[in-house]
Amino acid sequence: MKHVGVMFMFGLLLCVLSACIDSAGNNGEESAEADNGENIVNIGFSGPLSGASAYYGENVLNGLNLAVDEINEEGFEVNGETYRLNVVALDDEYLPNETASNARRMVQENDTPIIFNPHSGGISALQVFNEEENFLIGGYSSEPAITETGNSLTIRIPPSYDGYIEPFTAYSMERFGDKLAALPPVTQYGKDWAEALLPHWKEEGGDVVYNSSIDFSKDTDFYTILTNALEEDPDVLFIGGPSEPTAKVAQQARDLGFEGGFIVMDQAKLDEMKNLAESNSYEPFEGSIGTMPLVNADYPGVPAFVEKYREEYGEAPGSEAGFHYLTMYIFVEAMKAAGTVEDAEEIRAHIQDGLDELPEDKKVYVIPSIDENGGFEIDVRYGAVEDGDIVPYEGE
Amino acid sequence: MDILLQQLFNGLTIGSVYSLVALGLTLVYGILHIPNFAHGALYMLGGYLTLTMMVYFGMNYWVSILISILTVGLISVLMERIVFHPLRHSTPIQHKVAAIGILLFLEAVAQLIWGPDFREMSTPYGQAVTLGGVTFTWQRLIIVVSAIGVMVLLYLFLKKTFTGSTIIAMAQNREGASLVGINTNKVAILTFFVAGALAAIGASLSSPINLVFPGMGHLVILKAFVIIIIGGMGSIPGAILGGYILGFAESIGATYISADYKDIIAFVLLIAILSIKPQGIFAKGVA
Repeated sequence: MKHVGVMFMFGLLLCVLSACIDSAGNNGEESAEADNGENIVNIGFSGPLSGASAYYGENVLNGLNLAVDEINEEGFEVNGETYRLNVVALDDEYLPNETASNARRMVQENDTPIIFNPHSGGISALQVFNEEENFLIGGYSSEPAITETGNSLTIRIPPSYDGYIEPFTAYSMERFGDKLAALPPVTQYGKDWAEALLPHWKEEGGDVVYNSSIDFSKDTDFYTILTNALEEDPDVLFIGGPSEPTAKVAQQARDLGFEGGFIVMDQAKLDEMKNLAESNSYEPFEGSIGTMPLVNADYPGVPAFVEKYREEYGEAPGSEAGFHYLTMYIFVEAMKAAGTVEDAEEIRAHIQDGLDELPEDKKVYVIPSIDENGGFEIDVRYGAVEDGDIVPYEGE
Repeated sequence: MDILLQQLFNGLTIGSVYSLVALGLTLVYGILHIPNFAHGALYMLGGYLTLTMMVYFGMNYWVSILISILTVGLISVLMERIVFHPLRHSTPIQHKVAAIGILLFLEAVAQLIWGPDFREMSTPYGQAVTLGGVTFTWQRLIIVVSAIGVMVLLYLFLKKTFTGSTIIAMAQNREGASLVGINTNKVAILTFFVAGALAAIGASLSSPINLVFPGMGHLVILKAFVIIIIGGMGSIPGAILGGYILGFAESIGATYISADYKDIIAFVLLIAILSIKPQGIFAKGVA
């Protein structure tokens, strides 16, 4: 027995050592600037890399890194000089205050013209000083408010969730009925979604029979809240949050005899939910409506991207990885068009050129234009589970 | 009526898990006299080890649990030997800082080894059954029955065996225990082993109804602290009773008062009990 303990400690030690080597390597990269006459553009990323949302943060970063590695193979030319990219990634544990201090550090130490952040709280924190410090925010949040504040250096990458409310309501009401039980997660994002969805549901003549929320960082079991929600005999459940716990909620609702449909908030992805089901099928989620899983989408750049991502990370990419991959390319095209890798205002002014110049095979999503507030305008696509398969729908 | 029965069962399920975790915490409190913040990390490791045995080594659920119990028990013992034992003459604040350090360390290690994503632990006992208006899966029944079984065994061990009573003796009075010839080192090791084993059992039983992820310890550890404060720090019946009180308060409170006030109910209960019995329901030392 003692032997096992010693072995274990040894194992731990090895892990720790390898972690040290890892991080040492990263630092080395950062300072490897302009060794062979090359120019480096530092791209900032602040996101959750530890804690409950670490998985999400890593997916985002994976997409970004994949694009950067590809671009660096050749480098890119701005004003006759060849540049390569270097990602500076810092952990903010999903905390807006950490995002802000990370960003200040990146701007001061690394002169990052662009900083990516994948949560609405962090984006708002950055908006306080990004115009002053002249850096562009690559904001990954479907919260419409982040582009409504009039910040001139913010890009909202994914479509705003406003576009989902109407089609999701129409679909679920027609297929299942007009009684909705709302169980969104206890996050700002979940609350905002609910505030958009519930009034619309009522306007359409529906009834909200149960309204509460689920705290994924505190609730060990969802039977209690589901029992109460199902007591009101709803036709449709509104759920959301990270994919896996959301899938668990749906599955336990089925255990308890729920036969209606699910409106799934855009944070959760149907394909990731499927991976969690014991049968590895869409069967428990029959009647769910949510965002279109990237792997099922038919945009021109999807097959190549999915293959590359699988090769690199051993799993299918989610939409956050896809959007970041794509956005990195758009930014590079915009830098080329702007003729600068430093001036965030110029880069922002040339984003539309970047969208126009984007190579067809990189179009993991098709984004024809950017609106004046900085939101990418994307045709809304969503998928519904019908007879155990994803059926695509397109918004107008 | 149906909903009451269903919620009572839900409360029983969740209360069983809470009790198991709180028991480990309260046992260690008896020895160290500090709250062991790292207990949640042991819970998390228990979940991961069982999952690893099942998924990567294709072992049976019960065999996996057994391995997980032994391994987490050992890690818990190592923790005592490497960290808490050398600190035994220092002030309580150093213990607390060390415990938090271990917590952060173990979580980071888990994330490094298993990655940050959510994992599903599926057992052969996932089918839903409806009996007399109550819906449950076999897994939930297993949680309740095993938890009660483990509690009975623990009680017998502490009360009826000589080794067990040395733990109680030491919790009651450390110096007194050494005076009558109890090897306090041995008892400390034993206690940490039992606490680690309880955390592993709790995690292995409850993981199939939730998910396995590096932060899963936080789900239960805060509640376990509330429980041992309600029940009386260091008290074993207190931990069991406190666990079920909290479990029922959550399920019944969410049904008849409001789901949004679920956590408030638990903390109002805490304040109410503490204002009547400031030392907790079972005062310290009863064990």
